[in-house]
Amino acid sequence: MSAAASVAAIEPPAAQRPVALPRGRRGAELVMLGFAVVIMAFAYLNVGLGLKGHVPSGFTTFVGGFAVLILLAHLAVRWLAPWADPLLMPLAAVLNGLGIVMIYRLQQSGRSGNPGVLISTLTTHAALYQLMWTAVGLIAFVGVLLLVREPRVLQRYTYTLGTAGLILLAIPAILPDSLSSIQGAKVWIIIGGFSVQPAEFAKIALAVFFAGYLVVKRDVLALAGRRFLGIDLPRARDLGPILVLWVASLFVLIFEQDIGTSALFFGLFVSMLYIATQRKSWLLIGFALFVAGALIAATFIAHVGERFAVWLHPFAGDTVANSYQLVQGLEGMAYGGLFGTGLGQGMPYYTPLVQSDFITTGFGEELGLTGLMALLLIFGLLVQRGLRAAMAVRDPFSKLLAGGLAFGIALQVFVIVGGVTELIPLTGVTTPFLSQGGSSLVASWMVIALLMRISDTARRPAPQPIQDEGLTQVVRRG
Amino acid sequence: MNHSLRRLSIACLAMFLLLMLNVNFLQVFRVNTLAAEPRNSRTYQQQFKVWRGEIIAAGGNQQQVIAESSKVRSGPFAGDFMRHYPDPFVYAPLTGYDSIYATTSQFGLTGIEQAENAYLAGTAPRLAVYNLKGLFTGKPKQGASVYLTISPRAQQAAYAALLAMGKPAAVVAIDPKTGQILALASYPTFNPNALATLDGTKFNAADHRLLTDPAQPLLNRALNATFPPGSTFKIVTSSTAFGTGKVGNQDSTIPAPQFYHLPGSTKVLTNDGDAPCGDGNPQIIYAFTVSCNTAFGKLGDTVGGAALFDYANLFGFNDHGWSLKIPLAVSPSAYPRQTDPAFLALSAIGQFNDAVTPMQEAMLAATIANGGKLMQPYLVQQIKAPDQSVVVATQPTVLRQVISSQVASFVTKMMISVTQNPAGTAYATAGPPATSIVIAGKTGTAQNGPNNSGLDDAVFTCFAPASNPQIAVGVIVKGGGFGADAAAPIALKIIQAYLEQH
Repeated sequence: MSAAASVAAIEPPAAQRPVALPRGRRGAELVMLGFAVVIMAFAYLNVGLGLKGHVPSGFTTFVGGFAVLILLAHLAVRWLAPWADPLLMPLAAVLNGLGIVMIYRLQQSGRSGNPGVLISTLTTHAALYQLMWTAVGLIAFVGVLLLVREPRVLQRYTYTLGTAGLILLAIPAILPDSLSSIQGAKVWIIIGGFSVQPAEFAKIALAVFFAGYLVVKRDVLALAGRRFLGIDLPRARDLGPILVLWVASLFVLIFEQDIGTSALFFGLFVSMLYIATQRKSWLLIGFALFVAGALIAATFIAHVGERFAVWLHPFAGDTVANSYQLVQGLEGMAYGGLFGTGLGQGMPYYTPLVQSDFITTGFGEELGLTGLMALLLIFGLLVQRGLRAAMAVRDPFSKLLAGGLAFGIALQVFVIVGGVTELIPLTGVTTPFLSQGGSSLVASWMVIALLMRISDTARRPAPQPIQDEGLTQVVRRG
Repeated sequence: MNHSLRRLSIACLAMFLLLMLNVNFLQVFRVNTLAAEPRNSRTYQQQFKVWRGEIIAAGGNQQQVIAESSKVRSGPFAGDFMRHYPDPFVYAPLTGYDSIYATTSQFGLTGIEQAENAYLAGTAPRLAVYNLKGLFTGKPKQGASVYLTISPRAQQAAYAALLAMGKPAAVVAIDPKTGQILALASYPTFNPNALATLDGTKFNAADHRLLTDPAQPLLNRALNATFPPGSTFKIVTSSTAFGTGKVGNQDSTIPAPQFYHLPGSTKVLTNDGDAPCGDGNPQIIYAFTVSCNTAFGKLGDTVGGAALFDYANLFGFNDHGWSLKIPLAVSPSAYPRQTDPAFLALSAIGQFNDAVTPMQEAMLAATIANGGKLMQPYLVQQIKAPDQSVVVATQPTVLRQVISSQVASFVTKMMISVTQNPAGTAYATAGPPATSIVIAGKTGTAQNGPNNSGLDDAVFTCFAPASNPQIAVGVIVKGGGFGADAAAPIALKIIQAYLEQH
């Protein structure tokens, strides 16, 4: 009796086994997007009440406009990428919404209720422009989903995109200052009043290029050469690509004075090289090259050396003029403390250009440590969802691309947030989704679109076998 | 590739953890140091947004608001809070001032405004509970009020008397039983309202004018200027003589030659007007009453430099660590240790390198008045949060037992004789011809300047009523001449004003 019972317990009938039904979870996405819009709406109200004591004008324009844009993008996702990760878009949306609100708040500093002189350099339409750029960003988002129906399609354009990326990166260096320089940063293309930061788009193009290149070459690059200190070093002849990239990023640094972007590109390449080859030696070589490059730059380029000095001694007498921005940001965050002053009630306008590189300190001041931790967690989740997509997808090219893009977000957040909080030397890169500026916003939405496309591919259920063909199964692969 | 992706996820996690740790460090642990950065614009702006607490003179059952903040109604600074001092000259040495540079420079605040800034501005940790309540009820931030031990009546009388005298002078009055400071005035002084302006240009002009004024109006003479004590130091010399047993009591006789040839020197110490001191071997009370220099110069040599130095230190001299905080910082009074008998004799009568603050003078009298027990002098009676709850209340504390109560009673008898004996130096100005209050005092007329060419400083230290001391006063008038003539009347006016209110 007992033997029969135990056999039954071990083998339950096959029909009773729970079947995991793949679900797109678009409903959950919609609910979370609604939540993101509600957070934005309350933040917007908070700014108006904090600044003027009443419900701010333009509530319907901003909150309504943002809600409609997000809803339309969501509908496009239902159509174009029904299996995509439902968290990616709400996370990006809440950051984008809070960015608009903060820029709305900053454009009014020194005005309406805040006594004192106008310190903010923002125009009165900055927030409206940011909303318009959000629209452009979401159009680009849908456009990417529409054009890239299968991530592997991009692999065909490896060298085309690589060339395009390098050209985009090089244009500001070649253009005269009048067409490429804004407040000392030579990273723009200025055409008829419009300014575009090509590096933001070059980042995506180069990530695709790295993925396509490394997928082909990874077996060679993974070959072990000499063994040194317990680490397998690559063969000397395979060092070519990393050296080329290193030199290219140094060129960016020298000719565009853009340390942040240069560090970002090099970091992106090295991390993708590591994902592709699984060789820790590449990380070590990359890190050594980076340190060497940074030291060379700090020694020979005054502008870079200054950044180091400011980082080490922001409050020292001789660096006060150079560290003004950093110090104002730090003091703003300290002023905010644990809970922040409340939106509209702090003095973030004392920090120069708080709307772009230093927007994190603006949030730190008005939303406090509590708000900033929440923002960092949102970024962390975004990166985590991206890496998850990379792990879930089967195709190595998509895996590399998703891993690179997700790590790119993490690196960018680390470089800028770490920079403004005195963790690392300050280098100017934008804060994804939060900073004022169209290029960054549009490029960030394109990255989200690519990650969603890859996760859509990963989560899409396999085609059902056609039963009446007997043993022959036709599997369609795209 | 999932293996390396997993490793990379851990790297991302580490990066975000680093960012979060750093932000926590910044917004929790570095808040105070960053707020205290001298160039912090936010702290600077913040000071005008806080409704700073009042400073109130609240001694002697009277209350007078001496510093208050009010909102500017119109003009470029509308909405900001501005400091106002209703009775500026009388209370300037106490209140100090609160200027627009309060948060950016250590010189932006002085006096009680500086010493109690954390409470007045509402940032003190003890106000945290109250501030937290305000956070939830949405009340604007308001600082705590500081109640001083200063008696408005005594303070008014003190400043009026100094003003009438018109010479650089200062006075301190203490309740000898508690150490409460009842009056603290300095002349010439300044109008803190001129420095409390929100207009930087006006502030700079007023600041420059006050700093370059040769009369030094910003100097708090009561606490931070020293003068030779003159014969008032004979209180210390007598205490040392009684305490060391070299002289039995106030009726014991001591040698008092008409001319005291200073040992090892060609100099001769004389009495005022080269007069003899009694029969040359008078009772010490007589020598004290008429203030014989030869008797006390010789007494100094008898007790020795080491003993005199020890007793002077007990009375409060040589406080080089600036340990006396009331909470304003009190400059150390000087009594250097003397080994040369000639210098020792001079130092025993308050000449040579002796230097005292008016505060120290008041402490001399207060020690004798309180049976040899010196109470810690203090200015802040209590501090009240805006909801009137008391956050700080000062209890009187004993600083130290300087001399025995018996020695104090000997000295008291001698000090009473100074005003009550018709031969006493202060008989006319602080004795029965001037007042019915029995005052115990000691005059000092200190020679100073190179070769004593300067005008004599007038010094008077006293307490009253002698039988039940309620107030001890120290007065110094720079270039006032005789202590009895210039300083004693000022002390008398304060004593009368203070005792009348009881």
